[in-house]
Amino acid sequence: MQNIRVRFEKRGRAVYISHLDLMRAMSRAVRRAQLPLWYTEGFRPHPYLFFPLPLPLGQESCCEALELRLERPMPPEELLRRLTAVLPEDLKVTAAAEPWSGAGEIHAAQYEMKLRFADEAAAGDWSKSAASLLEAGKLTAKKTGKQGRRRIEKEIALAPLIFHWALSSEGASVLLKAALAAGSTQNLNPALLLEALFDHAGEPLSFSILRTALLRADGTAWE
Amino acid sequence: MALAQLEPLLRQVQKPGRYTGGEPGSVQKNAAETALRYALCFPDTYEIGMSHLGMKILYGLANARADCWCERVFAPWIDMEALLREHGLPLWGLESGDPIAGFDLIGFTLQYEMSYSNILNMLDLARIPLRSAERATLAPLVIAGGPCACNPEPLAPFFDLFVLGEGEEVSEELLDLLLEHKRNNSDKQTFLRAAARIPGIYVPALYEVNYNGDGTVAAVTPKENAPFPVRKRIVEDLDGVYFPEQFVVPLLEVVHDRTVTELFRGCIRGCRFCQAGFLSRPVREKSHGTVDRQCRALCENTGYEEVSLCSLSTSDYQELPALLEELLAWTQEQKINVSVPSLRIDRFPKEMMERLALVRRSGLTFAPEAGTQRLRDVINKNITEEQILSAVRQAFGGGWTAVKLYFMLGLPTETQEDISGIAQLAQRIVDAYYQHPEKPKGKGVSVSVSAASFVPKPFTPFQWEPMDTCGQLREKQALLRASVGSKKISVSCHHVEISLLEGAFARGDRRLAAVLEEAWRRGARFDGWDDQFQPGLWEECFARCGLDPLFYTARRRDFDEVLPWDHLDYGVSRRFLRREMERALCAETTPHCRERCAGCGIGCKGAP
Repeated sequence: MQNIRVRFEKRGRAVYISHLDLMRAMSRAVRRAQLPLWYTEGFRPHPYLFFPLPLPLGQESCCEALELRLERPMPPEELLRRLTAVLPEDLKVTAAAEPWSGAGEIHAAQYEMKLRFADEAAAGDWSKSAASLLEAGKLTAKKTGKQGRRRIEKEIALAPLIFHWALSSEGASVLLKAALAAGSTQNLNPALLLEALFDHAGEPLSFSILRTALLRADGTAWE
Repeated sequence: MALAQLEPLLRQVQKPGRYTGGEPGSVQKNAAETALRYALCFPDTYEIGMSHLGMKILYGLANARADCWCERVFAPWIDMEALLREHGLPLWGLESGDPIAGFDLIGFTLQYEMSYSNILNMLDLARIPLRSAERATLAPLVIAGGPCACNPEPLAPFFDLFVLGEGEEVSEELLDLLLEHKRNNSDKQTFLRAAARIPGIYVPALYEVNYNGDGTVAAVTPKENAPFPVRKRIVEDLDGVYFPEQFVVPLLEVVHDRTVTELFRGCIRGCRFCQAGFLSRPVREKSHGTVDRQCRALCENTGYEEVSLCSLSTSDYQELPALLEELLAWTQEQKINVSVPSLRIDRFPKEMMERLALVRRSGLTFAPEAGTQRLRDVINKNITEEQILSAVRQAFGGGWTAVKLYFMLGLPTETQEDISGIAQLAQRIVDAYYQHPEKPKGKGVSVSVSAASFVPKPFTPFQWEPMDTCGQLREKQALLRASVGSKKISVSCHHVEISLLEGAFARGDRRLAAVLEEAWRRGARFDGWDDQFQPGLWEECFARCGLDPLFYTARRRDFDEVLPWDHLDYGVSRRFLRREMERALCAETTPHCRERCAGCGIGCKGAP
């Protein structure tokens, strides 16, 4: 048995594939690639696929991770070659290796959020008010959670979940780079952060979100 | 259309994956190097269209030609339609993103009468004039095929031609002819006259329809030496005919998300209500080697984890045991589930059942269609209550706890007794469960009864029969619900107004085209969807056009009346259909084709 962690990009049209659909698409892809898959035991055997940090619908990423379990070892280059051949171009595998850090060690994710405005002045104004909001550290967001069986809406403070941010504007666009809490214990969806900023600073014409890296607690890349 | 134009819209609609394309298995070509651009249109949502085997066959077949690029087009859902109209974007092909108005061929599949308003809507969204007469040039040529092409009259003014019967061979011939005429710069009329000479092609503009004072058809007259009648096409050799080795694998979940191949076409059974059973005659089987090879290739190329074997009645496939032996040998090892729909488990070796169940257990479904033996004899549905009960007993012993039963309300000669008979049959299944010594421990049983409305269809023995009115159907549905006395039994029924409209269009004539166009203009879309259907709107449109839906549904036709589809020939003779109708009224059954030839007229190899 061998575990392999595949890194892949989810760009372009692939942002419209939900996480559930992505699992289905990947499980079909690994079958098309004829990998020596290890199957779960039990009534409905299926290949073991594990996504350490699912990506919300509508966001792009160049650093997604997928763990596969093989019945017998296969050289990572061979696996990479076979997966590339069967995946659509907007789901591109970039690396494959035996994992050396666990999913629990994901501490943060780095994002690039591009916002487009009507003109340079609007972009500049937005950038300024966003900067002061982020500096003040008082942003909150409403999140639906569960308390037992009940669905509840709770307000969460965002500042403790924002580890780093940087704003820059160029022409009519603003670029917000941020490292946000990620992983199974605490996690901030960048769309939630943007929504909170839009509530106070106004909405852009359009925006896009790109996840660029997964980070460990010491700030090094999670691989 | 460039993805950039679509992008802002995609973020505002449900299931944006319906509109992006780019799925594994979808075909990219160089538009500049392909002589023919073909838009294969399914007039319903992506999830339904992507489940349809015929689309996959025609898509693969057209794209196997170097001279043709075939793309898929589905009906955009209401939310996307509104955005396309708001932003002035035309309907596009999923593969290239190009507007389909610039294509050479626009082909629709006619699976269901209730998708007709979507056809007009898709043409309009594509900015293609709706009526054939308004399209002067050869391109785009707008064509259709599929089961509803057996009575395409309500759609006749909108289409340039219809393909009757099976599409594989005639598609190739049509593409060849179109290419030739495109190269010669032929005009549309010249092309259509040539196309009408291809067997199986019906060019409605070459036929004139006259009506009697009472609204019935007086005569259909061919013009310019057009063939009369037009015969449907039949593929003789299912082992040799084109079948794809690759499917487009959708990236969002669709209704039938699996590998599928046919076992045979046609049906030996002769159930008198079943249009598919008569339209698809004669019976032609694929050899089990072909089926196995196709399943293997498709599983390898798609990565699907399920294989489905498709036909009108799986148990009648003569090579089934040999096929399953072959299939299970490799599917079990590759963890692939084999699903065998419409199987009569009472006649199936128990050991094979267990091996199928080993991989995955699918549901247990029966279609008795009627509640009493008398009515089942009327419709020639060859299944007895004892067969159903012995099958469910066997299944309960094997761990099944849910049974689905399909029935129809409004069948010819139906009485109250037949309707309460449905509830009684369901109750006996519940009782059989609780009396079973080996029933699953600690689990209850659930029996769901689905009651559709019977809609008489062309080319069946019931084509002359009146259909129940909405009021009658509603009463029968109420009676059925009242007859059920157990919480273990759930009942679901069809929307009666949808059934009425289906009935009118199924046996309609060319005058209905005006009703359809008016309804589309007033906003009719997705009429087969309970939540979209607007009964009041259709009622107004009929009235405005001076037509009564009951003229088409509730009227008993004389045997000598000219029916709107009489100039089309599906091989089964009118004499046979009439004989079957008369036997039905005496509750006399007709044995299946392998027991004794009923002389339907199709002239298959087994016929005397």
